[in-house]
Amino acid sequence: MAERDPIERLNDALERGEPGAPGAPDERIRALVALAGRLRFMPREEFRTQLRGQLEEKAMAATTATATLPLREGFHSLTPYIIVPGAARFIEFVKQAFGAEEKLRVPTPDGSRIMHAEVRIGDSMIELSDGNEQYPSRPASIHLYLPDTDAAYQRALAAGATSLHAVEEMPYGERSGSVKDPFGNHWYIATHHGGSHIPEGLRTVNSYLHPAGADNLIEFLKRAFRAEEVEVYREETGGPIRHAKIRLGDTILEMGEAHGQYGAMPTGLHYYVPDVDAAYRRALEAGATSIRPPADQPYGERGAGVTDPAGNSWFLATPLAARPT
Amino acid sequence: MIEAAQRDPARFGDLYDHYFDRVYAYVARRVGDRAETEDVVSDVFHHALASLGRFEWRGAPFAAWLFRIAANKIADRAERLGRERTIEPWPEAEEADQEEAHDRARIFALMRELPADQRRVLELRFAEEKSTREVAEALGRSEGAIKQLQFRGLESLRARVGGKHG
Repeated sequence: MAERDPIERLNDALERGEPGAPGAPDERIRALVALAGRLRFMPREEFRTQLRGQLEEKAMAATTATATLPLREGFHSLTPYIIVPGAARFIEFVKQAFGAEEKLRVPTPDGSRIMHAEVRIGDSMIELSDGNEQYPSRPASIHLYLPDTDAAYQRALAAGATSLHAVEEMPYGERSGSVKDPFGNHWYIATHHGGSHIPEGLRTVNSYLHPAGADNLIEFLKRAFRAEEVEVYREETGGPIRHAKIRLGDTILEMGEAHGQYGAMPTGLHYYVPDVDAAYRRALEAGATSIRPPADQPYGERGAGVTDPAGNSWFLATPLAARPT
Repeated sequence: MIEAAQRDPARFGDLYDHYFDRVYAYVARRVGDRAETEDVVSDVFHHALASLGRFEWRGAPFAAWLFRIAANKIADRAERLGRERTIEPWPEAEEADQEEAHDRARIFALMRELPADQRRVLELRFAEEKSTREVAEALGRSEGAIKQLQFRGLESLRARVGGKHG
């Protein structure tokens, strides 16, 4: 009898489920059948990847959850940190223009400058300082939601700001006007039409970045801080990002590609994370440069500083009371 | 890797990739049933992620910690399902199970190096226990083609298993 095709013989042996006698002429087939038997406990690839996804999501939620961080009132995951020469005059400006309330002022030892200050507007905080050589001037762009845009816009001009854009109705359901203050900060003042003057998911004060290379910055934020894209709008496919909303912890960061009078304007951000050491390390791995490595601070936080690839300064912090054990 | 994941849970994926096969093989050998194996393996890794911070290096390998979690989950499950609590295996059996799990994990990992079509056929044929005909239907190919892929796949897996031993 002609020898049958080994392919068929293997299949027959597998269907019969008999390994055959050791040392039989079909030693080769026998070995393959035995091997196939050990594959019976093989995991389904679909199961393996699905479970991995679930675990990653859970792990990510654990690293980005800010709800459990003991933050002071008015603070959220992300707070703009504005460094401007003339911080004391800047505080006067935000009080006059936007009704800000001064909460904290820490002068330098000689009393000539402000080392750190905090003001509150609506449900949010803005932190600021005069800066120094290590922390150079870092004006910001702020998307500011107030109940009466027209009044705030007028008060800002009266307090010394210049107009970037007169107040008008925007097609996306907002009345908005924008100004540049004497310190170089941009204020996009807006009133949202609807139940509240602040749209869902945003707050009174929202940081708005204009990076050269918004796509790259978003990639960086995802890798470094597990940021999540909430919305990315481009006028044409493959074109530059006109507007994006990126979630970091409990806060939405807005941005649009630098263009025209909204040129690249690196800014400072105070970002509360559950584990500053981990966030610092991931940021460096994702391409940031270090300003200072993590260290415990006398004001009850463990803090670190990095500069992202677009030049923004991130002051990463974890309240000492919330440090992972 | 373990310390990295303890400091940063987002690194847990690396641990998972490294230990998944061993845990799966171990559970599958103890439990037998596929759906139940998947439930237990899922429980083990969720539990491991949640309690990773409590793992302390005391000379026992991380895999042993995971096997321990798995053994407990299997016992809990049996109890919940109203079955008699399985008798704790004696140490030799436990050791044998763990060794076998390491061996199988190695085969699973080598499986993933096979060409995609061979791997898919072996997975459907032996992991999901489908007949040649069912696999042919699922993949839209002839039964002859499936038999051939099955033969080539097993041959090349055997070569890899042998090759990496020596």
